[in-house]
Amino acid sequence: MNADPADTRYPHLDLADLIAGATGQAIGDRAREHLASCEHCRSEAARWNLVADGVRGLAAAAPETAQPARPRRTGRRVPPGPWRRAVLVAGSAAAALVLLAGVGEVSGLVHVHLSGPGTSGSATSGPGTGTALTAVTGCARLEQADGTLEQVNGAILVIKTASGQRVTVTTTATTFVSTSGALLGDITDGASVMVRGSRSGGAIDAAIVTVGQPFSAVNPPGFVPVRGTVSDVSTAGFTLVTSSGTRIPVTTSGGTLVVVPHASLGQLPAGAAIFAVGHAGPDGTLSARAVAAIRQLPRGNPHLFVRLKNCSPASIGSVLAFGG
Amino acid sequence: MNDPHGDAGAATFTAGPDGDRDDAGLVRRIGQGDEDAMAAFYREHGRVVLAQVLLVAGERAGAEEIVQDTMLAVWRGAASFRGESSVRSWVIAIARRQTRDRLRGRRLRVVGDAFLADQPGSGPGPEATALDRAELAEVMVGIRALAAPHRELLGLVFGSGLSLPEVAGVLEIPVGTVKSRLAAARTALSRILNEKGHDR
Repeated sequence: MNADPADTRYPHLDLADLIAGATGQAIGDRAREHLASCEHCRSEAARWNLVADGVRGLAAAAPETAQPARPRRTGRRVPPGPWRRAVLVAGSAAAALVLLAGVGEVSGLVHVHLSGPGTSGSATSGPGTGTALTAVTGCARLEQADGTLEQVNGAILVIKTASGQRVTVTTTATTFVSTSGALLGDITDGASVMVRGSRSGGAIDAAIVTVGQPFSAVNPPGFVPVRGTVSDVSTAGFTLVTSSGTRIPVTTSGGTLVVVPHASLGQLPAGAAIFAVGHAGPDGTLSARAVAAIRQLPRGNPHLFVRLKNCSPASIGSVLAFGG
Repeated sequence: MNDPHGDAGAATFTAGPDGDRDDAGLVRRIGQGDEDAMAAFYREHGRVVLAQVLLVAGERAGAEEIVQDTMLAVWRGAASFRGESSVRSWVIAIARRQTRDRLRGRRLRVVGDAFLADQPGSGPGPEATALDRAELAEVMVGIRALAAPHRELLGLVFGSGLSLPEVAGVLEIPVGTVKSRLAAARTALSRILNEKGHDR
């Protein structure tokens, strides 16, 4: 952490933290928490991520080293050949839970239509062939991948698409990771939440509960957000205690969407519906700037939108809206 | 061969987790003449070394020759590797020397510390804005247009898998200087993007 020369009251991440994030190294909990709440640092992190992606993009464009010529000079020993580069293996399997990826009509919009298990996908490429990345409408260099989360291995995710293709998604400490669904279990006593719902007498019938650091983007029209701390959790709901001490009864149901906007990769279980947005990497991989998992689909026919302001990596994840 | 830094006081490295221990084992086997280990070493490090060399040399055929010479130096010098640095920083330091020797005749542009340490402003000025609005492909083109020392530094930090202290060791400069040069490299990149009109 470092002090902002312009305002020493608010410490910002120092360059080492930002570089660690851009290179996929672990950063401390304090730095992570700061990043989640500091727009300045998120922007800085996004800029360094872009620089890092540029370097990695150049490296990916470097010629293969598969068959180097033997050394022209003799040493005491001659290195063997051929030296082959490892090949990313694409797998094949049928998808159990499918995300039908559509394309929004608004520039810079990712639109994912969520469907339940057993639905067949619309992708046409066969298992393990072609690319499973889809261009983000309005953002020439951004790609998306969506499907089912097959595994999490450190900072790497494997997404199996509707067509059975596997996409390797790399993340860094600054990748925006969110998870959502009918996750009432994530609402616990003492949690800081933002509740959006319709008023019912003196209570709120919760449509969306955002857990943790507020995420301004989860703001569909028609709901007034109320922020507070959770108390007295039960199967029927909880009590929201506002900063002024007002206690508001909140009712929840299976249709209540719970959003954890700043989640860790460890909160993304295999089998979750998931989509990722970022830059295409080598061998069909995706260097993700934003990852969103839907661990449990809410009722209805939901759609998920992510608007990318100016298509800038700094803005990815800045807006997330959920509607029917 | 085992001291890529030439400056014992610059930085001290310790072997990292399992990957480094495996690498050290590979180098030990290479030192014993194990050709399979050499092949494995090339698989592990060849592409990263080539990408780094290419970033500095800027020309494919020459870069491949430098990598060949680097691997030859690894083959010859593995027996003297003492494990005082990570294998990755060791091989990259070798590659750096090979690159420097090869390019000596081409007279790389020498850039002074005053230029390299040019600090960017702290606020999101037009240079930050330029980076915010740039696309990846444009950034890649911009990186190619940077001065060789900036390209080299960005490659070491973001492409080689080295930590900042390890980069400092390879470049034989303090970590603080690595940071200031990183900031300067980003500023230079932003200026290049600015020239392409991304500050609007």
